[in-house]
Amino acid sequence: MKRRSRLVGWVGAAALVVACFGISTGAMGQEEVVIGFTGPLSGVAAEYGQDCVNGIEMAIQDINKAGGITVGGKKHNLKLVRLDDQIDPTQAVNNCRRLKDQHKASVVFNPVFNTLAAMAKINEEKGHEFLIMAYTSTPKMVEMGNKLAVAIPPPFTAYVRTFSELAWEEGWRKAAMVVTLGAYGDEWRAAFRDYWQKKGGQITEDKPANYYAETDFSAQLTAALATKPDFLLIGGPSATTALVIEQARNLGFKGGFVLIDQAKVDYIENILKGVKLLGNTIGVAAVRDIPTPSVPAWDKRYREAYKRMPTWEAVLNYGATHAVARAMEAAGSTTDAVAIRAAFPKAFPMLGDKFPSEYHGVTPGGRIHCPASIQKLDPGGKYGPVLLAAWWFKDRAEFDKFKAARPAQETWAFFKHEKEE
Amino acid sequence: MELFLQQLFNGVMLGSTYAIVAVGLTLVFGILHVPNFAHGHVYMLGAYLAFFLMTQYGFGFWIALFSSMLIMAAVGVILERVAYRPLRERPHIDSFISAVGTLMILETSVIVIWGPQGRRIPNPYPDIVELFGVTMSHQRLLVILAAVVMILGLHLFIKRTTAGATIEAVAQNREGAMLVGIDVNRVSSLTFAISAATAAAAACLVAPIFIISPTMGALLGMKAFVIVILGGLGSIPGAILGGYILGLVEALGGGYLSAAYKDVYAFGALILILSLRPTGLFGKEVS
Amino acid sequence: MAVTRTLKERWWQIFFLALALALPQLLTSRYIFQILVMGYLFSIATLSLNLILGYTGQASLAHAAFFGIGAYGVAILTKGGLSFWMALPISALIAASVGFLVGLPTLRTRGSYFAISTLCFGVIVSIVAGNWISLTGGYTGIVGIPTPTPIRLPWFGEISFQDRTAQYYLVLAFLLLTLAVMHRLTGSILGLSFMAVRNNEVLAGALGIDTFRVKLLSFVVANFFAGLAGGLYASLIGSISPSTASMELTFNWLVYLLLGGVATLSGPIVGAFLIPLIMESLQFLAEYRMLIFGALLIAVIIYFPRGAMGAVQMWRQRVSGILHRTRGAREGVVAGQEP
Repeated sequence: MKRRSRLVGWVGAAALVVACFGISTGAMGQEEVVIGFTGPLSGVAAEYGQDCVNGIEMAIQDINKAGGITVGGKKHNLKLVRLDDQIDPTQAVNNCRRLKDQHKASVVFNPVFNTLAAMAKINEEKGHEFLIMAYTSTPKMVEMGNKLAVAIPPPFTAYVRTFSELAWEEGWRKAAMVVTLGAYGDEWRAAFRDYWQKKGGQITEDKPANYYAETDFSAQLTAALATKPDFLLIGGPSATTALVIEQARNLGFKGGFVLIDQAKVDYIENILKGVKLLGNTIGVAAVRDIPTPSVPAWDKRYREAYKRMPTWEAVLNYGATHAVARAMEAAGSTTDAVAIRAAFPKAFPMLGDKFPSEYHGVTPGGRIHCPASIQKLDPGGKYGPVLLAAWWFKDRAEFDKFKAARPAQETWAFFKHEKEE
Repeated sequence: MELFLQQLFNGVMLGSTYAIVAVGLTLVFGILHVPNFAHGHVYMLGAYLAFFLMTQYGFGFWIALFSSMLIMAAVGVILERVAYRPLRERPHIDSFISAVGTLMILETSVIVIWGPQGRRIPNPYPDIVELFGVTMSHQRLLVILAAVVMILGLHLFIKRTTAGATIEAVAQNREGAMLVGIDVNRVSSLTFAISAATAAAAACLVAPIFIISPTMGALLGMKAFVIVILGGLGSIPGAILGGYILGLVEALGGGYLSAAYKDVYAFGALILILSLRPTGLFGKEVS
Repeated sequence: MAVTRTLKERWWQIFFLALALALPQLLTSRYIFQILVMGYLFSIATLSLNLILGYTGQASLAHAAFFGIGAYGVAILTKGGLSFWMALPISALIAASVGFLVGLPTLRTRGSYFAISTLCFGVIVSIVAGNWISLTGGYTGIVGIPTPTPIRLPWFGEISFQDRTAQYYLVLAFLLLTLAVMHRLTGSILGLSFMAVRNNEVLAGALGIDTFRVKLLSFVVANFFAGLAGGLYASLIGSISPSTASMELTFNWLVYLLLGGVATLSGPIVGAFLIPLIMESLQFLAEYRMLIFGALLIAVIIYFPRGAMGAVQMWRQRVSGILHRTRGAREGVVAGQEP
């Protein structure tokens, strides 16, 4: 009697859990092709994650509005399933398993290296492969050698070089760094230090700060400015970077700023309510100034849909989602991740008449050829022309051939890229 | 020398915020024994309320600040009633879980209502003065001044008013206070109201210099715990001193030593101090 | 007779063990597999937290730091070419030794002072992990950590841990080992002295228990198992970063422990499965997820003081109470006179 009641209790409890579980993982009966996303949708990096997922969502809506993708003579609609991982590798892996198992997703987007590294351990299992779309600019992503991963943004080393060259042209020689702590900031600092010193420049102070948790950077800035630098290398999340700029100017700093590529100058302008403090700033180009014909309309649509300004995260993930759709069509499969990855080169070129940012191809190691777009603001805070840095050509001859075919009003720069070839 | 003075100023400004927030925490943690890990998030919500009132209803800075303090006092009372009072006779760790739940609710609510992005409150006093080669913005001077005023006000309230005296009575001897007829429930509500209102005030004061975001209180809340323990549980002078010490250590350590390791020095020093003085600088011996 | 009684009392434990052993044969979903493996793994961490917090009454907030030390140990040693089977015990021992050194100053403090001292230590570990770039890889962390080295067994041949079933049994084995140690420990005289310290440290001291040594021992053992769990984690997830030692993990385990049932052996395991399952099933709420979860935490801690296991126990007592009464009435036996 007692035993039976106990059994009933346990079975009841187990059933409750399973039922609870069933609600969320419920059967997926539709014919839709699921595109997965796992990333920070809450916590400190929530804004970043949401910018990324907005771009993916907008692309999927556009693709479906245009009739979906055609694979094997059949039309398929795409469907986005977004899961939150709060940059926790355990959760990210859970999410990938879930997307693959329950939703039959063959492609999963993620925007943070620490979670991508954990995902890269499980995406090549035979019969359970899925393609990782990695929104990360660190060369480590490609160095890992995962055969089913595609990196989306330009490598940050392309920015390091271009920024350094531009700063050098300005006659700036003494740099002080107040860059965000963290994997990405550490790599940036190391790469910049290396390049700048090789060039003959000087680094007078290096005071990294926690852009995610702190708000007062006076201590670091005071120390950095005491060395009288020509410019400050700063950057992390855009909102905090705006704060650093304001605090530096309040401490009387009149020199230039170089913003590492995570910080976006147009976003900062928005926070600082103008460009008054932004004179002599070098950074990633403003989205509205990207020199492609489709940007103005895209920019407007994005603002209407999400009630906020578009960032590069949205722009590049938007394009990457289209690239996935095109690769699926080229591969003739929506489920075979290996075939989709193999067909990826056939998705390109994706040009500016249809896409806000151009994609010209993909490296053998798996990074999309997207030019690094750079802008400099003059001493009065006026935006200069956008400089497009191509980093994927083997040599100058190849680059020159490419450039000859481009419209004359575009400014291109060539950088030979040592890694990721 | 100028550099040192500038760092000193930075440290005092930082310490002022820490002191106000830590005093609020030491009231609920030291006196009511509620490890309110959501205190930093209460601070955050205070800033968002001011932001909301200023941008939505066009309130001026000071009116927004006082409204935010009032509303947060009410939020504090509700918080105590719903999340902590049912756990009063239970181990502290239970209240800790409740606090974790509370901070999740506060943070997520703000993200849902105002979005995850950073927001700005217009700076009411954007001017800058230079004194002895030290650059000070008016708003930063205001923070330092307001901290002194609030600390004095709180001191007078506790020492000179009956309501304040009941708080002190409970702090000194909970059972004794109950025996002489002090309503512990009322004292709890009052303490939470003060704690939340001071946190809101601190948040509103620094918000124009900084950026407000849903996670702005997380690290501050943790630091407040460290300060409260450093000063000694329930000790208001301890919390104030601890706040200024941490502010100065951070500014000078971050400026002169390694910026990346500055928290290691601060927290390492705390472990060391506690191993020498196991109940903090001003703490009573715990039974 | 004794055997049948044990069977009667322990049938549900045996049932769960059998279920755990059989699951890999029944399951096909890699997603469920992943959740199970991580559930076992975090059960080990929560069980060890239970030893220091639940049984000894010392709220260590540095538990994830020791988990992290174990994880970094295994990552660095196995990437350096050492066999996983050497690296794992070494790393767990390192975690235990660091625990010993940290316990010396911090365990002199009590209550909240101990909690915050350990919290500070936890922060220090994650900062050092983020900045000692030559050893830890900085905030990028360490990637490409090898899966456990294959072992050769006399009858089975070689077991490769590339296979998820093998990984499953590996973690399950370590969980059972942890459970066995915790069972023996808490049932022994030593376990009683842990609980004496928890219930009243002054009284325990007056009774002749060296409370400091008892606390230190409990802390060291707890951290050994935290390090063990961390080492396993590193090897299975394949990449680690300072977040592996972060406060959030400690907070997670605290929630598992208190909602599962503190100072019980089944509670930590129930919590380590139940909470992640609830979190997973709330994913459909998107940005409202943490809102609902937060409210759930508050409600559960208020209405179920001793967590899920406490609730189950209470419920069982109530049910058996009713059964007793009805049976007693029917058979005309006065309660208490039953053999």
